[in-house]
Amino acid sequence: MKAPDNPVLVIGAGPAGLQAAKDVAEFGVPVLLVERRKELGGAPIRWSYHTLAPDFRPTEEVMGPLIDFCQSNKNVTVMKGCIVDGYSGRPGDFHVRIKDETTKNITEKVVSSIIVATGFEHFDARVDPRYGYGRMPNVIGINELEIMLKQGRVVGHDGKPPKRVAFIFCVGSRDRSTNPWCCTVCCGVSIKQGIEVKQLLPDSQVYMIYMDIRTIGLWEKLYWESMEKYGINFIRGRVGEVYYTGEKLLVKGEDTLVRGPFEVLFDMVVLAVGIEPGPGTKQAAGALSLSLNEYGFLAPKIPNVHFDSGKEGIFLAGACVAPMSVEEALSEGSAAAMQAVKLGSRLMQKVPV
Amino acid sequence: MQLGKDEELELGKEDAKLLETLSSQRKAKFAFGTTEDYLKMLERMKELEKKGEIIVHHVTDDYDPVGVRTLSGRVKKIPTRETWQHKSCGQCGHIPGYISAFYWIMSELGVSYVDDTNQTSCTAWNYYGSGTSNPVALSAVFLRNMHAAYERNAYPLIHCGTSYGDYKECRYLVVMNRDIRERVRAILKKVDRELVIPEELVHYSEWLHVMRQEVAARRKFDMSGVKVAVHAACHTYKLMAEDYTYDENILGGRRPAPTSSIALALGSQLLDYSNWYDCCGFGFRHILTEREIARSFAYFRKIRPIVRETHADVLITHDTGCVTTLDKSQVVPLAQGYRETIPVISDSQFAALAMGAHPFIVCQLQWHIADWKPLLAKMGIDWQAAYEEYKSYLDKVKGGMKPAFIRSPPRHLQPRPHTKAFRVDEPVMS
Amino acid sequence: MSEEEKKRKEKESSAGEEKGKFIIERRYVDDSRIIEPKKLELGGIDMSGRWGTLVLPRTLEDFDTEIYRDVEKLPRGGNIGKCWQCGNCTAVCPVAHAHSEFNPRYLIHIVKMGYTSEIKKHHEAVYLCSGCGLCSAACPKGVDPQGVMIAMSIAFKAHESELTE
Repeated sequence: MKAPDNPVLVIGAGPAGLQAAKDVAEFGVPVLLVERRKELGGAPIRWSYHTLAPDFRPTEEVMGPLIDFCQSNKNVTVMKGCIVDGYSGRPGDFHVRIKDETTKNITEKVVSSIIVATGFEHFDARVDPRYGYGRMPNVIGINELEIMLKQGRVVGHDGKPPKRVAFIFCVGSRDRSTNPWCCTVCCGVSIKQGIEVKQLLPDSQVYMIYMDIRTIGLWEKLYWESMEKYGINFIRGRVGEVYYTGEKLLVKGEDTLVRGPFEVLFDMVVLAVGIEPGPGTKQAAGALSLSLNEYGFLAPKIPNVHFDSGKEGIFLAGACVAPMSVEEALSEGSAAAMQAVKLGSRLMQKVPV
Repeated sequence: MQLGKDEELELGKEDAKLLETLSSQRKAKFAFGTTEDYLKMLERMKELEKKGEIIVHHVTDDYDPVGVRTLSGRVKKIPTRETWQHKSCGQCGHIPGYISAFYWIMSELGVSYVDDTNQTSCTAWNYYGSGTSNPVALSAVFLRNMHAAYERNAYPLIHCGTSYGDYKECRYLVVMNRDIRERVRAILKKVDRELVIPEELVHYSEWLHVMRQEVAARRKFDMSGVKVAVHAACHTYKLMAEDYTYDENILGGRRPAPTSSIALALGSQLLDYSNWYDCCGFGFRHILTEREIARSFAYFRKIRPIVRETHADVLITHDTGCVTTLDKSQVVPLAQGYRETIPVISDSQFAALAMGAHPFIVCQLQWHIADWKPLLAKMGIDWQAAYEEYKSYLDKVKGGMKPAFIRSPPRHLQPRPHTKAFRVDEPVMS
Repeated sequence: MSEEEKKRKEKESSAGEEKGKFIIERRYVDDSRIIEPKKLELGGIDMSGRWGTLVLPRTLEDFDTEIYRDVEKLPRGGNIGKCWQCGNCTAVCPVAHAHSEFNPRYLIHIVKMGYTSEIKKHHEAVYLCSGCGLCSAACPKGVDPQGVMIAMSIAFKAHESELTE
């Protein structure tokens, strides 16, 4: 048996991966952090999330310290632009192949355990053509609105602020033709953004077109405030088609509480795009021989114990297991770190003196 | 807009291909009758031909075929000459200019065709309108007409959108279902015909689509100022949607290509509108039982939004039912004081007008309700002079001249030689 | 109301007569959508009779929140914006159990969203409210539906001419 001070490998440097790396490193155990992209921070940084629901906390306040820690702590070795290509061995003594995606160079490393935190991708709304995303101006995703909010400037393609904005919920979620699951966060995120739009443009009218509002737990506060304090309107129904008239966007839907179709002009349509497993998750599953569930997320051994991959020494964390918020991903990262450290100390006891 | 670092929203060709595949895979999850099923049917047709179970009427090179891309991605062969004109029930009575303009175009282009009177209604009017009839009867009628074309060594060109859609569905049933096929075979045997299935089912709008450059080359009037809106007929592109013609450069490939393509080829401005996908209001069961709703729908949900959104000079379409409904349904609203109106004509009438066909003798615009005079004026056609010509033409017809485009089939049998004189049977004597 | 619509209205058959009696599936069409002039003429030709009926589409085309703003400003109407359409008010309402036209949840919704065509159809139902206050006790959001009904009745009265035209 190799010495137990082999590092813990963390794949993915999003909220879950960074938190896991930080917690492991703080135990004094070395960490090897492998990230496919050239920057750390995962989706919140890649997509320039402005603030995080439910408390409008700036993303940097949450992600900044984690990124700084991993970049400066002597226990953490960061490998950017790299993926894990394959592995062999057993817990405490995994031999992993790490491939640099640009140079195609392969490095072999020995690690004691592996934490998979490969995250998610936003649903590409071009796949569901009814909303005209990618074809029509002023049809954007919540991820793009987030960038605009960060810049403090919400405008249409003509540079003018929109007067009437529609948020369409469940785009690429809860739909058999795309993804049948609920992404769990986009109700809350959309409402948070609606409030931010109202704060930025108090004269604008904001409409939320929803099937169900799923502002789970304490996020409910967003829902109440958006209606009671900001006068945001909620239309229960689903949109069949968005059509660009050359000037405005004609949204065709049904208000199911009136039992009747509506066709109303909007200046901007924001699609609450869902969460789906990204190519990174699929690749990691292949490299580590992990099983995927029917939806393409990594399947834990027991559905309600996310960290347990079913393979000893390999732990799962974050949105590669199921859609989740940043706050949940952080806790999952911590939980997986605890498993890795626990395994390390167990192995150490077994080492013959 | 910049998404993440080094990422752009612009859709590259490769990206688009990938998305298309992804999209169709996802759609296939819940679709009934997918593109795959349709392609399977075409394969099955080849197998049946090989086994000698059916005869396939191929679009051979002597029909001068032109390939078009269908929604399925498959290339479909459109014959351009020696076509057998399979007429529409509605057109003769409601918009006779539709077919006369089409025949005129073919003659102008020097393209040979067969105008055969030995054909019947497809009877799908009955089927889609009232839900009566049955697949075997419909298929037998379909194949009887196709055999009539085969007999004349001409390729069937289907004028009516409903016949076209119905035939595509019937072909699917006959090819994929042995029981229906054998029952249809038995019926056809009784009328001494065989099971002949055309390799391609072709709508006349697809013929105009592939001939658009030839048509445009003979354009007489400048169409660049003419704004055109197009209504595609439900039965041409929604029944077996995979089989109709699309072109990625015509309205982004998101609307069917024919008819829009002819408007573009002639140099007119093509305009899109929000409810392009909606029915004209005819809707079969609805017009047969519910004229009030059909008429109101045609006006409030098609005509008025088209006028408001596009301010087009003309609405062109490619099915008799659509031309009739969209045109005739403007009468009551006009009488009630609604002002928005737009002339509605078929693609063949539009093309013929541009090629210099007579607006009344050939294009028969006198049958159309919505005011077409501003359109003709914009195209530079002196409709008043043409109307005078038409009046004198009518006088000549009254005087015994044979009218253009009306051809009488041989109806009279030769009289038998008379041998005996008439007599009254005498009562029998007891 | 536009000029042409006004003219059309004048031509409409007098109230009380059966509207749209030729429409086969008549029970699916609201009275307010049927336009049936007694006399109809086009180009000097009399077109009166059986075929002159039009049925307006039922599409909701805009949000007109003028009445909503008024309700918000009236005493006891200020909480209308809090409503999230749970239906607790209608569930406990004794009038709703007896009268299909009276649905406080629905009245709040159409006013809040500004569906003028629906308000035109249903605004008179607001006077059916008995003012018992059960709804206000049941409401989880503190909308005070009973107070909103009172505010609405005042706002509807103020907008009576537009609502009954």
